[in-house]
Amino acid sequence: MKIAGWAIAAVALIVLIVGPLHLNGYWLNLLYQTVLFVGLAYGFNIISGYAGYFSFGQIAFFGVGAYATGLVVLNLHWDWTIGALLGGVLCGVLAVPIGAVMLRLRGPFFALGMLGLAQTARVFASSSTALGSGSGMYLPPGSSLLPVYYWTLAVAGGAFAITWWIDRSAFGLRLQAIREDEAIAATLGVATTRAKVTAFVISAIIPGLLGGGYAWFLTYIEPSSAFSARVDLQSIVMAILGGIGTLWGPLVGAVLMTQVSEALWANFPQAYLMIFGGLLVVLLIVLPRGIVPAITARMQKRASPSAGAGMAMGSTQPGPERS
Amino acid sequence: MPLLEVRNVSYAFGGVKALDDVSLAVNEGEILSIIGPNGAGKTTLFNVISGLLRPPHGSVLLDGQTLTRRAPYRIARLGIGRTNQIVRPFGRLSVVDNVAVGALIHERSLRGARAAAREIVDFVGLGALGDRNAGTLTLTQRKRLEVARALALKPRLLLLDEVMAGLTPSEMDTMAEFILALPKRGIAAIAGIEHVMRLVMRISHRIVVLDYGRKIAEGTPAEIRSDPRVIEAYLGAPLEVL
Repeated sequence: MKIAGWAIAAVALIVLIVGPLHLNGYWLNLLYQTVLFVGLAYGFNIISGYAGYFSFGQIAFFGVGAYATGLVVLNLHWDWTIGALLGGVLCGVLAVPIGAVMLRLRGPFFALGMLGLAQTARVFASSSTALGSGSGMYLPPGSSLLPVYYWTLAVAGGAFAITWWIDRSAFGLRLQAIREDEAIAATLGVATTRAKVTAFVISAIIPGLLGGGYAWFLTYIEPSSAFSARVDLQSIVMAILGGIGTLWGPLVGAVLMTQVSEALWANFPQAYLMIFGGLLVVLLIVLPRGIVPAITARMQKRASPSAGAGMAMGSTQPGPERS
Repeated sequence: MPLLEVRNVSYAFGGVKALDDVSLAVNEGEILSIIGPNGAGKTTLFNVISGLLRPPHGSVLLDGQTLTRRAPYRIARLGIGRTNQIVRPFGRLSVVDNVAVGALIHERSLRGARAAAREIVDFVGLGALGDRNAGTLTLTQRKRLEVARALALKPRLLLLDEVMAGLTPSEMDTMAEFILALPKRGIAAIAGIEHVMRLVMRISHRIVVLDYGRKIAEGTPAEIRSDPRVIEAYLGAPLEVL
């Protein structure tokens, strides 16, 4: 079972690496969009799914990565990958003070605070002449999408790997304890602020790295696409649809949603958004916690049909024993 | 030197004085019960000791080291564990993982913490339910989980906030035996128990009585039983009746 899993992963990775060499523009573009959203959804998932701090503003870091890349390419004439890398580092550094302040807010206040932060960043970019104001920055046109695709694939793969580690680490358990009940987690010895800020930094670096590739791909950076509320919202919906706080949820949600959305758009160009919205509503009513949790719950039920018996046994057992 | 010392602590919610100049001490190997009517300030006192509330006046010391204004997680790591009157399990985590969170202050790896947690889960009688989500537990089981989570910290002082409430009489007896065994494991305990006078009198070395946020009496069970202020303010009737 485990060997089969690794084999499937290896085959998928080879296909993702070699396949694009034989794809034409349309399919490569679709693949790029898919991988981009997988990465964004994983970025959202760490702070929001594992730590429970729902952020509507991760796109701020995506935009910072895009603009940082633009500045590096235009002013320093370095390669865009260095710009994207520096953008990711910058986001990680910025996330420390931002997280230390914003993560004092809870629930909807944090979500709205992050939304406000992203809007502030967008307005700042629109009014800063160094960033090209509202008209944006033009980058030299790239020769091929392929390097951007590989960059994005590497970042999304890294985001998956980090999530895989978090999912089975002490750090991940601490984050989940914070998500479930922060005060209780603290009385059980969890250094909550440190754990939250660390999660926030990871969740900022990922979109920061992705933003640089996106800027090079568009060859044009302007506020409303770098800080796109639509891209932010889409990545959030994908993560939720797949199941937040799970290892596979963002991957399943992002792949499914980009493909379905594309297929609907190709076949029903007029009504696609309506159909898509309707499908989403139905799916989330049927599977409120997302696709992956629904599947694992079903598998667990099948694996242990006697779960009910365990409960009855437990309740008749004596309390704490003498020692 | 006492293990825990609470010195002149006051705390108010708006105009309501939940704690009014309360002082008390817990010695190594001692079981101290805090009793008092609902709203007497017992849970507020626990919240102050565990660092969830910061008192404007007074101080709390563990082994002579001041705890006031330290973060709750530091206080937990210094050796104070607590349970919660209103049970608050991590509902979407397994029973073992609920307990492993606290064990992480002693174990570097998650694997080690889970192994330690499993032992404690067995010890409190939840062994068969270790892999279930804590959200599916019954109230009695949740009370035991509260105790298990606090024990995972290997605390030197354990604050038990109404662990008896909601238990059947026979379950109360097992819980009492459990509390009596704590000093042998190197844990001093404070139990904030009300209503169950029979058990308070049996397990306590000393008793502190709170009423409207003030300490109105302190002494051995025998002294408390015959203290006229306690009888008047809290019990309203001679204790022999209960």
